[in-house]
Amino acid sequence: MKPFQHVAVGYDGSPDATNAVRWTFDAAREVHASVTIVHAIGLIEHQRKHFSTDRVPPALLALAKECAFEESELHWLVEDGDACSVLLRMTSPPINADMLVVGSRGEGKREGLLLGSTSLELAEHASVPVVVVPSDFTEH
Amino acid sequence: MVLVINEGFNDAGHEDPGHPERPDRVVAARSAVDDLHLGDDLVVVGAHSATRDELVRVHSGIYLDELSAYCYSGGGDIDQDTYATLDSFTIAKYAAGAGLAVIEELQRRNDGVGFVAARPPGHHALADRAMGFCLLNNVAVAAAALRSQGERVLIVDWDVHHGNGTQQIFWDVPEVLYVSTHQWPLFPGTGSVNEVGGRHAADRTVNIPLPPGATGDVLRRGIDEMAGPVIDSFDPTWVLVSAGYDAHRADPMADLRLTSGDFALLARCVSDYAPVPGRVVMFLEGGYDLGALRSSIHASLSAALGQPHDGESPSNGGPGTEQIERMRQSRRSTVEMLHASDDEESTQ
Repeated sequence: MKPFQHVAVGYDGSPDATNAVRWTFDAAREVHASVTIVHAIGLIEHQRKHFSTDRVPPALLALAKECAFEESELHWLVEDGDACSVLLRMTSPPINADMLVVGSRGEGKREGLLLGSTSLELAEHASVPVVVVPSDFTEH
Repeated sequence: MVLVINEGFNDAGHEDPGHPERPDRVVAARSAVDDLHLGDDLVVVGAHSATRDELVRVHSGIYLDELSAYCYSGGGDIDQDTYATLDSFTIAKYAAGAGLAVIEELQRRNDGVGFVAARPPGHHALADRAMGFCLLNNVAVAAAALRSQGERVLIVDWDVHHGNGTQQIFWDVPEVLYVSTHQWPLFPGTGSVNEVGGRHAADRTVNIPLPPGATGDVLRRGIDEMAGPVIDSFDPTWVLVSAGYDAHRADPMADLRLTSGDFALLARCVSDYAPVPGRVVMFLEGGYDLGALRSSIHASLSAALGQPHDGESPSNGGPGTEQIERMRQSRRSTVEMLHASDDEESTQ
């Protein structure tokens, strides 16, 4: 099997998403893959953007450092759309991600909710492997 | 000319405090209708809750089951924008059924203009997913019902956001032509000029993405030059409008610069595509500044009914005009490529 080369991970600022980014850094470092962290801007967020479009959030840079992940292999992208559609777009040019990663629960979501679950939607529609990082996952 | 509108139903149960998609929007829409002072020329048709048979023309049965179960278990946030409550499924079925009731009345009269003042809005709802404040795709349910009667349906979507749900549902359906003007880039991120329809419906999707700051003159030029010839050749028997009013310059959700006067011109232009009276229905989609919503609905309904309106003047001078010819050519190339690959396949 060809090792993955480019991973896209969803990020909304929640603890679960941060956990997913941490897992991605650790996994990508091992196989020298690059990482695109993508934030989806929804309808409401247009009024007050949560993240800069051109600057990696400092918290993610700190996390990359903590995980010994090369900053030069880290890309930050802010895209319009719901989280699922935006992540699915990451598998097409120009990003061409060959793996998608999400946390098991996004900001404000109800535990165990099936409807609107980004991870389930991705699993159904993605053409590449999807990793769902559990809320309480720790590597060590 | 009469205005046919759906009877109001209690939508107070679909509300999330502080959320911009709120019951006051329909109150504003109905106030706009009151402002027309139509007297006996206002016809209110009874509320209709869309049946499962009417909904499964556009939504998967599994999705309907999931949505109803989710709502009846108390609801909650579906995604970062979209919520549901205990009452949301019931209310959404009334919103989806309202257009069917209005259409039935127009068919009986063969006259008038229809307006569906209902929420939640619908054009982002996919066949199997809620998103962008939308649970059921109201305009798609209506278009699918008309299609089942052998009609050719033009959907014009002038909401500031691309109607990705409607586009997806009719992507490969030759009897439905979907035309959307929208700000780009903006949620939901779809609506590129090169999205032109599926293999069996190449040229049945026309997207006119506009830059932030675009004004009404640019938008109308886009419709005239990019969509006009396609609509003429499609020759619709019905015209449904996804009438969102969030392209108004006062709306907080986007950055286009339209005025109520632009919506009047748009409504007149779109109404002209109907072959006979009684074949135009406008469906409320977005629009979150209540004052702009009320004045813009009033302007568009006045124009569709052939009445003068004395609101804001149409806007002009915004960016985007120079892109239209380029977009038209790019779209044409994509359609020709699709046709060519289809021809190639059929000769093999």
